[in-house]
Amino acid sequence: MSTATAGRKPATKGAGVRGVRPAGYSLVRTRLGTRRVSFLVHRRAAAVACALAVLLSLVCVAYLSVGESFVAPAEVLKVILGQPSSDELVVGTLRLPRMVVGLLVGAAFGVSGALIQTVARNPLASPDIIGVTQGASALTVFAMTYGITSFTVLPYLSVTGGMVAAVLVYVFAWRGGLHATRFVLIGIGFAIALRSLTTLFMTKGDYLVAQQAQVWMTGSLNGRGWDEAAPLGWVLLILLPAVAWAAYAQRTVSMDDGTATALGVRLGHVRLGLVLLGVVLASVATGTAGPVDFVALLAPQIARRMTRTAQIPLLCSALLGAVIVVLADLFARKLFAPTELPVGVLTAAIGAPYLIWLIIRSRTAGAGA
Amino acid sequence: MTAAAVPTTHRTRRALVASRIGWTTVAAAALLLAVLLSLAVGARAVAPGAVFDALLNGGHSEDAEVVRQLRVPRTVVGLMVGAALALAGTVLQGITRNPIADPGILGISQGAAVGVVMAIAFAGVHTLTGYVWFAFAGAAVASVAVYAIASRGRGGATPVKLALGGAAINALLVSVTMGILTTRAAALDEFRFWQVGSVAGRDAELVGQVWPFLLVGTVLVVSVARGLDALALGEDVAKGLGQNVGAVRVVGGVGATVLVGVGVAAAGPIAFVGLAVPHIARAIVGSDHRWLMPMAALVGPVMLLVADVLGRVLFPPGEVPAGVMTALLGVPFLVALVRRKAVPA
Repeated sequence: MSTATAGRKPATKGAGVRGVRPAGYSLVRTRLGTRRVSFLVHRRAAAVACALAVLLSLVCVAYLSVGESFVAPAEVLKVILGQPSSDELVVGTLRLPRMVVGLLVGAAFGVSGALIQTVARNPLASPDIIGVTQGASALTVFAMTYGITSFTVLPYLSVTGGMVAAVLVYVFAWRGGLHATRFVLIGIGFAIALRSLTTLFMTKGDYLVAQQAQVWMTGSLNGRGWDEAAPLGWVLLILLPAVAWAAYAQRTVSMDDGTATALGVRLGHVRLGLVLLGVVLASVATGTAGPVDFVALLAPQIARRMTRTAQIPLLCSALLGAVIVVLADLFARKLFAPTELPVGVLTAAIGAPYLIWLIIRSRTAGAGA
Repeated sequence: MTAAAVPTTHRTRRALVASRIGWTTVAAAALLLAVLLSLAVGARAVAPGAVFDALLNGGHSEDAEVVRQLRVPRTVVGLMVGAALALAGTVLQGITRNPIADPGILGISQGAAVGVVMAIAFAGVHTLTGYVWFAFAGAAVASVAVYAIASRGRGGATPVKLALGGAAINALLVSVTMGILTTRAAALDEFRFWQVGSVAGRDAELVGQVWPFLLVGTVLVVSVARGLDALALGEDVAKGLGQNVGAVRVVGGVGATVLVGVGVAAAGPIAFVGLAVPHIARAIVGSDHRWLMPMAALVGPVMLLVADVLGRVLFPPGEVPAGVMTALLGVPFLVALVRRKAVPA
């Protein structure tokens, strides 16, 4: 019985606040000011989260070291800690902001996918599939085709497109409640329609516009810096309490409807809240870097297999999303240097094999939700 | 489940069969009408009488030439592609027991697309008839990969593992496509017109190339109709009923792959037909695959041909490609359908 975080060990085994602890969980007791607080922590999930955090740190240092010129990790740490260094410009001004954007975008996509998969109860559901990113793409490519190419305007358009698509899907899928299958089916319908509209817009402009649209639609961190990182960071910070609520509310959605209703959970409201949060996260991430494909689909599924929890773990999904995007961008910059690939090409190339490996060696026939 | 609830008495069974025969006849009539529209409507409107005249008596008027040279191949391709994609979608949904399974989501269309991208970028192939073999090869490779992944590990190719494997392969293939397209501008310039999905500008040579595949694929999927019915009751029940579940999945999967290859090779990645038509057909005749498959094969081409005709007349003088129209038309259909009843999963 080792608790993963600070707190007193319970005196006797199983002497929790109420009855017996579920297997695999530890009770954590701590003080918040004068109040005593206790909650259950899934030991394996906590360990995985710690491991992922360590991995993310390593990936970040590697990201800042590698590029046109190699910077020793020791120098990188100096720059991060704000000590004077000759590599200030390369690391602090060129690579760091871009990395922060990738990190935030990855985390946002990871959480977004986890929430939407939870509500839809379908491992295939993700903002890539239910129309959010397609709505963003359709409006953005439409604007590009008809002459709007300024990167100060496009992000707002893509957020608008994503949100409008999501609201439409929600409205059409709502019928006295949000049935998971209905939601996913209608979402996919809208996604396909918007996607094909986007391909139509791509045939309307000349090929330079098509090329620009293609790079944007693949998802790219090229030329992104503090100007993009700051608004995204603020939005995510503001949404943090909502994400904490989501982590708590997730459990009620994963029960069967009868049980949840009997416990007095207003399922409709909870689902609406979770989907809305997922959509907002996916939209702002898409507005910043374009629809970096498959991060939202893969990160939650991989995270869930690592922790083996009943719910899709939000924190681990966020960390994994960040790892995937930062690592992918590292390769995207380096692989065919001096040509830079869009990061979206590599997110799939990194995430997919891992998912495949997990499916192959999964111990259960169900393999997921 | 829907109308396929087990009929209890002799009379209800007869009523069910009668209603199914009735609806199938209606669908066949709708298909004939769609074919006639596809031959008569367009930038040059041809009277139905003149259409028949051109088909039966030849003649060399401009109308007759337009009908025979341009619209007949286009219509035949529409028929073939619509039927192929609808059948493929029906079978894939049956195999995976997943209502959102379709050629696009399982990565098979994307496999064909990768084949075409490579044909353009590396093999110097620039004609529709040249694309065909690459599209087939890509679809086949993607399907085999998905099945190989899903059938490893414990429990074999369960529905969820198939769907996840499809998503993962789809991810890989999309990254290949995008990698090529973002680094080779010339390939993108050609590919963007193919990826919209269209039946315009197809000729008789293409029809000759793909019809044997359509036939083979259809025979394969029809042969597993009963197996899919049993599979719908769950894997254990299907085994108890004496079905070889693995064989049903493999044969059905091979058939579906061939059919998707036909569709994508002939018309590009046409969206929605494979996803929506099975649901529409199920709403009409229930979930018995012996009725469901013919119904899907009738409704699919109706959807595609009507979409193509509408695309011709919507914004003259330009045309909206069939692939875009199917998607735009499919959405209201799907919404109405999904809202009307609980979706049979």
